[in-house]
Amino acid sequence: MRSGIAERLAEIVGERHVLSRPSELLVYNSDGLPGYRRQPRLAVFPGTREETIAVVRLLADEGLPFVPRGAGTGLSGGALADDIVVIGLHRLKKILSLDVENRRATVEPGVVNLRLNKHVAPHGLLYAPDPSSEAACTIGGNVAENAGGPHCLKYGVTLNHVLAMTVVLPSGELVELGSKVGERDGYDLRGAFIGSEGCFGLALDITVKLMTKPQAVRTLLADFTSVDQAAHVTSAIIASGIVPAALEFMDGPTIRVVEDSIYAAGYPRDAEAILLIELDGLEAGVSADLEAVRRICLDGGARNVKVARDDAERMKLWQGRKKAFGAMGRLAPHLIVQDAVIPRTRLPDILATIRAIGEKYGVVVCNVFHAGDGNLHPNIAYSADDPAESERVHKAMTEIMQACIDAGGSITGEHGVGLDKMGYMESIFSESSLNAMCELRAVFDPERRSNPGKVVPVHACKEWHAVPGGRLRMDT
Amino acid sequence: MARRARRPIADGHVSTAAVVSAIKESGSTRSPLRIAGRSTWLDAGRPVRANKTLSLRDDSGVVIYVPGDLTLTVRAGTSLSEIERVTREHDQWLPLDPYGSNDGTIGATIATASAGPLASSFGLPRDLLLGLEFVNGRGEVVRGGGKVVKNVAGFDLSRLLTGSWGTLGVITEVTVRLYACPQADRSFVIRLAANEKESNAFLRPFLAASFSPYALELLSASAAFALGLGERAVCLMRFGGNTAAVDAQLNAVSRIAGVEEVETSVWEALRTLEMGSGCVIRVTGLPGEFRSVSASMLMEQPSGILNYIDPARGVLRLVVRAPNEHEESKESVFGISTDMPPNERVVYETLPADVWSEVSPSVVADPLSRGIRKAYDPHDILNPGILGD
Repeated sequence: MRSGIAERLAEIVGERHVLSRPSELLVYNSDGLPGYRRQPRLAVFPGTREETIAVVRLLADEGLPFVPRGAGTGLSGGALADDIVVIGLHRLKKILSLDVENRRATVEPGVVNLRLNKHVAPHGLLYAPDPSSEAACTIGGNVAENAGGPHCLKYGVTLNHVLAMTVVLPSGELVELGSKVGERDGYDLRGAFIGSEGCFGLALDITVKLMTKPQAVRTLLADFTSVDQAAHVTSAIIASGIVPAALEFMDGPTIRVVEDSIYAAGYPRDAEAILLIELDGLEAGVSADLEAVRRICLDGGARNVKVARDDAERMKLWQGRKKAFGAMGRLAPHLIVQDAVIPRTRLPDILATIRAIGEKYGVVVCNVFHAGDGNLHPNIAYSADDPAESERVHKAMTEIMQACIDAGGSITGEHGVGLDKMGYMESIFSESSLNAMCELRAVFDPERRSNPGKVVPVHACKEWHAVPGGRLRMDT
Repeated sequence: MARRARRPIADGHVSTAAVVSAIKESGSTRSPLRIAGRSTWLDAGRPVRANKTLSLRDDSGVVIYVPGDLTLTVRAGTSLSEIERVTREHDQWLPLDPYGSNDGTIGATIATASAGPLASSFGLPRDLLLGLEFVNGRGEVVRGGGKVVKNVAGFDLSRLLTGSWGTLGVITEVTVRLYACPQADRSFVIRLAANEKESNAFLRPFLAASFSPYALELLSASAAFALGLGERAVCLMRFGGNTAAVDAQLNAVSRIAGVEEVETSVWEALRTLEMGSGCVIRVTGLPGEFRSVSASMLMEQPSGILNYIDPARGVLRLVVRAPNEHEESKESVFGISTDMPPNERVVYETLPADVWSEVSPSVVADPLSRGIRKAYDPHDILNPGILGD
């Protein structure tokens, strides 16, 4: 490698914040999808905004590619660095400002989602996007992935809650996207950046909108003896016009794994499906909606509809849902999770199709997902070390994805494309659409050094050719 | 199960293929195009260097509408009134009410990112848009986003095109999120005191209170008068949701001030009030700033100038009905935004043609915007000049 890039990075951030030994880098060789492993060459952890800019500029001067990384909780293989530099941003964790009157906060990218919420809660405020990994994931990572979460059904995803960002482009230049103080005219570059999966640069600060905590919150648990009933009830609630804050679905296998784990929430073990439904808003309105939803559930065949009595019970019900992926670790060492979105009226038939595909390949598909949005998370716990099982699992997942695409859906609702879903991009986007994405990326990162090899398959880019300085691997 | 209602484009004569060939022809002859919907807002007066107009007005109609999905895919030339008619049949609506009339098209609404009073609760066009199809300046058909309510596949071309004023591509098809019509949807006015001090004493705590109206606009006396709401400045509110929630809010408001119910059609009247005026300026800012200056802004306006303030969104709309008074309006606008770069706070929506170059420098002059423009419209044939470029 050109003389001592590790040493030069260490001059910027301090020696202890640069890792270069393969054994130390093992921690960074996967994200939340352990089926993918890529070994980075180096990892650097800037502690301040200035250090981050200096690191990006040094890499720009050297023409070296890099991958930005938050907490590494992503579920698309998006934060993996294949023999290149990882820039870890978790040390940039200052909440820079909180404006209670105007309900907005400015944070550094490494601030953990839940920590922001704890910080603003005493003021009666909240930050709405709540990925299930909220206790660990960072706002910077949320911006990169345009993260969602259960409460995005009513309140929208990260895109709808970010007002402005200061971004360091891969060239080292700084740009302000969006506006902290108003609505800016011109192209929506903030919108283009959110969800760009680390391919457009790094956000150094992020200004988000906060919401006033709703006056009343009610959480219901409805349980069913058939998946089909729960799916139809989901469609009926959406069609009724009531917009729950969250409407989550867990099937029988998931319920039992969660109940066996330390996250046991008191879900009925003999149910084949449960719906976790949250309603919020003004007290009077919520009570009326609660009755309407209860009736829809019971008419649709629910055995029981239980309403959480207090906050403690509510938290317990949510804990089981949010930690469900973690609980899957009890079944097998690896987990594959999909993130397709389907039109909401297709839920009953797609769930039946998923079950049939699982039976065909002899794998147990667990379903725990954001039913209100039609955002599925079919997942299979398996051992990646067993080649025969791996093959069956991957075949089943490919067939499930195809069924969702055929239903008019999307390949990813909130986890991102990363490495994991790149192969499906050509099934939903034409050549010219993929090329338009490549062109947009090339404006932000002409040398394509930021998170190379992700999101859009390279061969889809018409103008792709060897870019001067854009070495995809670092030569030694 | 609901059947997928696929309908060929029977309503109009234009199609994506026609847009492709018009753009390819313009590209080969380097003759720029002015992109238009139904031309209801061409009098925005923005200068475009083009001799030909490509109108999408005949490319209208529903492509896919499955009511249970609460999504709607239409051709870009579909008018907002047609969308309203189609969705009302299923007791649904698209809560997008840009200033101007409902004769305008959804394509133009997205292309100009136009919003209205409902934006403070339902979001801006970017928040309601799920996906679109457009034809870029090379005549290539591109799709961004999708037809489902949640989607992060690929880079976000839908947001990029929203508010790009036709300069990155001609939008040909749009998919939006719908909502079920609320059980109750009622509108009310509170008449404000005639003097600033009293008005202020009421407004500050009132606006900080925790109501969640669908829309709330403070209207200057001139605007209220034009709407037949009396001769004093008013607070116009719209509450929607289930009956219990609407009644509870109404009761809470009634305890603080005298309220009078008005027809919900008042909102459409408000939106069309500015049609034909020579000058419309939007000033945006922090909600708190508007809370503290609202009263004075509502009281002090020269005749012929209408002010509407949406304090939750942080937007002041300033309409000059007589075109020759624009100098005055400029002064009052710059008065509240002196130390901010104009681009960030002040958006000119309509101006007399000769004033544009003076007040509206290019909003796409930064290197990223220029790079995107060059990539998507390399021959500079799509609405050149419209963004001050």
